[in-house]
Amino acid sequence: MNFKVIDLLIGTCSGAIIAFAVSQIIPAHWNMFLAMAVGGVIGMVLKFMLLILLAPFFGAFEVMIPVSLIAMMVGMLSGMGAAQGSVPVECIVAVGGVLGFTVALLIYFSNKKLLRST
Amino acid sequence: MAKHKNYDGLARVFDFFRQGDMRRWGDAQKNLFQRMQGKVLHIGVGTGMEVINFPPGLDITGIDLSPQMLKRALLRAEQYQGKIRFCLMNSESLAFPDNTFDTIVTVCVFCTVTHPVAGLQECRRVLKPGGKLLMFEHVMSKNLVYGLSLKFMSLFTEALEGTHLDRDTVANVRKAGFKVQSEQNVYLDIVKAIEGVKQPV
Repeated sequence: MNFKVIDLLIGTCSGAIIAFAVSQIIPAHWNMFLAMAVGGVIGMVLKFMLLILLAPFFGAFEVMIPVSLIAMMVGMLSGMGAAQGSVPVECIVAVGGVLGFTVALLIYFSNKKLLRST
Repeated sequence: MAKHKNYDGLARVFDFFRQGDMRRWGDAQKNLFQRMQGKVLHIGVGTGMEVINFPPGLDITGIDLSPQMLKRALLRAEQYQGKIRFCLMNSESLAFPDNTFDTIVTVCVFCTVTHPVAGLQECRRVLKPGGKLLMFEHVMSKNLVYGLSLKFMSLFTEALEGTHLDRDTVANVRKAGFKVQSEQNVYLDIVKAIEGVKQPV
């Protein structure tokens, strides 16, 4: 099993799923700060669901660390995007996916660096 | 509820939740366990998932708090090409005389032991002078971002199953009187292969 590809896929899909869920829950024209806070909380709740689903198959820490970072960040940003009212759902989901991929990639390089250091 | 009751309950789902870790960490564990020699004490056997990564031909004594975990471990032990026996025992009060073992092995155990330094001192007691402590453990990250994630998640794992994600196990090994011979990162600076040595007095 190629875990490099799987880790990047998990990051991308987690970001996209969280962004989609938040965009469906947060109503348009909400107060931006409130939308950001609630989006972050929704992201954290979804994080636990994703952990329970993915960690048994792909490793507890290898899933927990990236998904934890992605969940709050994407949740907050997607909340703000949804509250604007003018941003299409596809766009929010795409931004979530790209952010998820970027976090997973940064963790991949961070891991490589830390493995070399010992 | 007594700690062993928790682990008895976990025994049924333990292999399912650990299968991903075993796929990820198999090679790193084999590398660490190559250093096992002589009489071996395996602390926190669980369902015996790590036994497949042990080199053959060793004389291993495995201990665990949970009878249900050990019951499952027996099936795996049958396939090991060497001697394995299991005992129901707490790692903080080992019923072995001083200087009994050449190697002690732990895998993700000292995140759950109630008093980790006391448990490690007990390991030191039963280890022969010059004996090795081989640990495959997760520890607190020194990176602020990863560290905060672990601190947050630790609130939940401690409440659910008594697992601490924020322990500095390498420092605890030193506090217990071992010399840390090597400390190798397996995933970020969170999952580590640690080798400690009981220095002869």
